[in-house]
Amino acid sequence: MKTNSSICPGCSIGCGLYLLESEEGGKRKVLHRTTSPMNEGKLCRFGTDLHTYYEREAMINSVDGKEVKQEEAIKAAKESLKGMKPDELAFIALPGTITNEEIVSFVSLAAEFGCENVSFGFERFFSVVPEEAAYIIENGLPFSEVEGASKIILFFLDPFVHYPLLARRILKAKKNGAKVIEVSFAKNERGIADETVLVKPTEVERIKEKKELFEDSLIIGELTPYTNPQFLSLMLWLNASTSSRLFLLKPFLNSTGAFLLGRDGGRKDLFEILEGVERGEIKALYLLETDIAGAMLGGEEVAETIPKLDLLIEQNAFRTHLSDTAGITICSEPFFMKKGTVVNVEGRVLEIGGESEKGLGIMESIGKGRKYEEVHEEAKKRLGLGDSEISEFEIAVKREERKFEVVEPKIEKEEGGGAEEEYFLWYKTNPFFWNGIRAKNFVEISPVAMRELGLFRGDVVEIVQGEGKERMGFKISDLPPNLVLSEAKLSIKPLQGLLTRVEARRAE
Amino acid sequence: MEEVKAKMPRYYLAWAKDDAIRKKGANGGFVTATLVSALETDFIDVALVVKKKSVYEGIPVLTNDPEEIKECSGSLHCVPLNLTKYVVEYAAKKRIGLPTKPCDARGIIEQAKRRQVSLENVYMVGLNCGATLHPLRMREIAAYYGLDPDSVVREEIKEGKIFLVSDEEGKEKEKWMKIDELEEKGYGRRDACKSCVTKIPTMADLACGNWGSNDEKKTFVEVLTDKGETLFKNAVDSGYVAIEEAPGKGIETRQRIDAGMQKRAASWKEKMDALKALSRSERFEFYVGALKNCIHCGACKEVCPVCACEEDAKCTGLYDERDSYAISMYNLVRIFHLMDSCIHCGQCEDVCPVDIPLTLIQRRFSERMQRHLGYTPGMDVTKKPPLYETELGWSAEAE
Ligand SMILES: Cc1cc2nc3c(=O)[nH]c(=O)nc-3n(C[C@H](O)[C@H](O)[C@H](O)COP(=O)(O)OP(=O)(O)OC[C@H]3O[C@@H](n4cnc5c(N)ncnc54)[C@H](O)[C@@H]3O)c2cc1C
Ligand code: SF4
Ligand code: SF4
Ligand code: SF4
Ligand code: SF4
Repeated sequence: MKTNSSICPGCSIGCGLYLLESEEGGKRKVLHRTTSPMNEGKLCRFGTDLHTYYEREAMINSVDGKEVKQEEAIKAAKESLKGMKPDELAFIALPGTITNEEIVSFVSLAAEFGCENVSFGFERFFSVVPEEAAYIIENGLPFSEVEGASKIILFFLDPFVHYPLLARRILKAKKNGAKVIEVSFAKNERGIADETVLVKPTEVERIKEKKELFEDSLIIGELTPYTNPQFLSLMLWLNASTSSRLFLLKPFLNSTGAFLLGRDGGRKDLFEILEGVERGEIKALYLLETDIAGAMLGGEEVAETIPKLDLLIEQNAFRTHLSDTAGITICSEPFFMKKGTVVNVEGRVLEIGGESEKGLGIMESIGKGRKYEEVHEEAKKRLGLGDSEISEFEIAVKREERKFEVVEPKIEKEEGGGAEEEYFLWYKTNPFFWNGIRAKNFVEISPVAMRELGLFRGDVVEIVQGEGKERMGFKISDLPPNLVLSEAKLSIKPLQGLLTRVEARRAE
Repeated sequence: MEEVKAKMPRYYLAWAKDDAIRKKGANGGFVTATLVSALETDFIDVALVVKKKSVYEGIPVLTNDPEEIKECSGSLHCVPLNLTKYVVEYAAKKRIGLPTKPCDARGIIEQAKRRQVSLENVYMVGLNCGATLHPLRMREIAAYYGLDPDSVVREEIKEGKIFLVSDEEGKEKEKWMKIDELEEKGYGRRDACKSCVTKIPTMADLACGNWGSNDEKKTFVEVLTDKGETLFKNAVDSGYVAIEEAPGKGIETRQRIDAGMQKRAASWKEKMDALKALSRSERFEFYVGALKNCIHCGACKEVCPVCACEEDAKCTGLYDERDSYAISMYNLVRIFHLMDSCIHCGQCEDVCPVDIPLTLIQRRFSERMQRHLGYTPGMDVTKKPPLYETELGWSAEAE
C-alpha cells in the first residue's frame, strides 16, 4: 500500500488528498487528507472518485500512428517543429494538470520556435479588462475572506454544483451572519440564498438597474473560456462602480499559475487559434495535457478541424479524443506523479507531491534542456516567492485591491427566431464537465415545460440547435418555464457564454 | 516476572526490551514491540500502523518490515483515521496485526460479522482512546497558545491537558491548557470523540494505554481474549517485551479515569444534542435543512467503518438523481440501514464536504434504536446486528 500525497486537479480549489495504491494490483483509493487547508479533508464527488480519473487509457509514444520509443517521438517533434514557420505554429495548454514549472518551460519552448500563438484558454479576456483590473482575473481570494464576508452575491453561480468545496465556505459565512443574495437565471435548489434576484435570459442588461444591491458585497462568479466577455465586463463594472470585491473561480486547477507565468507567451486567444486552424493559417499544434475536443463544447467540430493541420503533437498522460489522428504523441506522467507546483484560486502555492519530472523533461529535451531546479526557481521568482519555503498554509500569491474604471457595458441580446417553443439552455459547469466526463444523462426542466412538451416520466427530451442535437432524460426542477439546465456537456455549442437558445421537444 | 501464566492475571505493565523502541514509544513501546515480535515470529503476515508525517499528520502504512513498524511508534492525536477499511480493502485475506482505537476495533468487528474479514486473522492491539482532534483545530490551538503552528514539534495529551512543544530557532517552548477550558472556548476534540463513551477497547484482543501506569515508559496492558493472550505470550516469550503485574492501585486508577471519561462523554452528548429541545416539526425542519445540502459525493459511505456494501449498495441503488426530494433516498436509506450498527465514530461527518452534522443525525436514530433492540454494535462478533436478515451462524464457531 503506497500513499501518495496529492492535489485534486478537478478545479481551481485544488483540494488536498492522498491516493493509495496497493503494491500488487495497483488498486487505487482516495484517502481524505484532513491537514489540507484548502478543503480540510473534504472532497466533492470528483475528488472522492479521483482514482477512476487516473484509470483512463494511457497515452503511448507514437509517430504517424506507429508506437516508438520516447526519444524518437521527442526527436520527431523537435524536427517537425523546426520545419514550420513560426506563425504557422500554435501551443495550447488548458491549465488543469500542468505545473508552474511546465508552464515556464512551455512558454519558453514556444518562444524558441518563434511562436507567438500560445493559449492557456483565457486570453480573450485580457483585451476586455483594463490593465489595473487584470488582478481580478489573475488572482482569486483566500476562503477566509469568503467566510468573513458580511454580504455575498452569488453571480450566476451555484456553489454546490460549480465549485462544490466553495459551498461550505458560504454556509460558514452564513453562520457568521452573512447575507447571501443570488443573482441568477434560476433559484438555487438548496435554498442557500436569503434573497434571489431572478434574471430573464433576455434581460441580463437589467442587472445594472440593481447596482445598489452590490454595495459592500463580495461578488462571487466564475470565469471560464466560455464566459461571455460582455458578462465579464458587467461583473467588472458592478465591482468598479460599487464598494464591492469580485472573486472569480476558474475551472482549471492552475489557472492562476498560467495567468501569472504565461504572460510572456504571446497570449493568443484559444478560439482565434482554432479559427486559424480552420482557415488553414495555423498548420501545427502542440497540445500540452489538453484534450481539446473533450474539454470544448462542440468538440466534434474541433475534431473535424484537426485534419486540416499538417502537424498535431500531443503531450499527455492519457489518450484524448484526438490521439488517433495526432501525428506525434508523447506520453507524460499522470498528474499525481509529478514533481512541481501549482497555484490554487486562493493564491496558495501547492506542491503536487510526486517525484517525476517526465513531462517537464520532454519539453526541456525539445527545447532549452534546463533542469527542474532551474525552472522551479524561475517559477518561484516570477510568482514573487523569492527564497521563501513553499507552504500550503501561506497565501503566497496575494492580491491587492485596486481602483479602476470600466465603461458601462452593453449586453447584446441573443437574437433568436422568436418561436414560441424556444428554450434557453444553460450549462451548469462543474468538475466533470471540464474534464470531459459525462456524469449526468439528464437535463433539468420546469414543470411548465414538462406539460407543454407533453412529457411523462420515462420520456426522453430532445434538445436541438442547428446541427447539434441531444436526447436526454429529464428531471423536474423549480425553474423558470423556458429554462433548460444541463450539468453534462452536450453537442450543442453556445453562441455567447454558457447560455444559448435551443428548441426542446419530446423525442419520438 | 517474565512468564505469563494462562489467563492470570489480566492486567500488566509492559514495555519494549529494546531501549530504542521503548524510548520512541508513546508509553513503553509495548504495542510496537508486540507487532514486531508477531511479524518476526510469523504470527502475522503484515502490520497496519500509522506513520507520522508531522505532528498534525499521519498516514496508514501496511508493512511487513519490522523497521517500518518501529518508525511508526508513538501516538498521533491529530490523526482521526479509522483503520477498518484499510484492513478490509488491502489485507482481508492476510494475517494482520494493528493498533486499534475502540472505533477501529468496533468497525473491524462489524465487518467480520458481514464476512468482509475473518477475526481469526486479525490481531487487534487495542489503544485506550480519550480523543482525536482535527489537525487544523490543533493548529488553531497552537496559535491560541501563542505558538507558530508550523514550529510545533511535539504534542501530548495527559492529565486532561493538551501539551504542545514548539521549537523556534533551536529553543523549545512548552505550553498547555486544560481540555475542558479549551473546549469551553470552542477549541478541542472532534465532536464524535467528545461524546464517545467507549474509551477502553474491551472488544479488542489487548487494551493498552497509560491510564493506571505508574511509569511514563510502561504501557498498561489488559489481556482480553485468548488470541490476545497468545499474542502477548509470544511477545514475552520471544524476548521483545518485559512485563510486571499491574499494581491494584493502577487497575483502580484506570477504572476511575475511564468512569470519569464516560460520564463526561455522556454529558457532552446531552449538551451537543441540538435536536432534543426541538418539537417534532422543528426537528423535521432541521433534518431537511441539513440534508438538502448533500451533494451526493458518496464519501460518507466510502469511509464508514461499519458499511460493508459495495457498488450495488441499497443507498446508492435506490437513489435516483432525478428525484426532487429535499432528503434523498441515499440519505434516508443510509440512516435507516445503519440504525442498528452505527458506532458514532464521526468519520462520515469528518469527510462531508458540506458539513452536514451526520453523527448527530445518525445518533438521533441509531442510539434509540440500539437501546430499544438491546444491541451495541462492534462489541461482540457473535452478536447479530438486529436488522440483519440472516443468522450469522458461522461467527460463533468460526471466531
Ligand atoms: C489518538 C489516541 C488517543 C489515546 N488516548 C489515550 C487515553 O486517553 N488514555 C490512555 O490510557 N491511552 C490513550 N492512548 C494510548 C496511548 O497513547 C498509547 O498508544 C498506548 O499506551 C500504547 O503505548 P505504546 O508505547 O505501547 O505504543 P507505541 O509502541 O508507541 O505504538 C503506538 C501505535 O499506535 C499507532 N497509532 C498512532 N496514532 C494512531 C492513531 N491516531 N490511530 C491509530 N493508531 C495510531 C502507531 O502507529 C503505533 O503503531 C491513545 C492513543 C491514541 C493513538
Ligand atoms: S473537483 Fe474541485 S472541489 Fe472537487 S475535490 Fe477536486 S479540487 Fe476539490
Ligand atoms: S470516536 Fe472514540 S474511539 Fe474513536 S477516536 Fe474518537 S474517542 Fe477515540
Ligand atoms: S454512519 Fe458515520 S458515525 Fe456511524 S459508523 Fe458510519 S461513519 Fe461512523
Ligand atoms: S458526505 Fe455529505 S455530501 Fe457527501 S454524500 Fe454524504 S451526506 Fe452527502
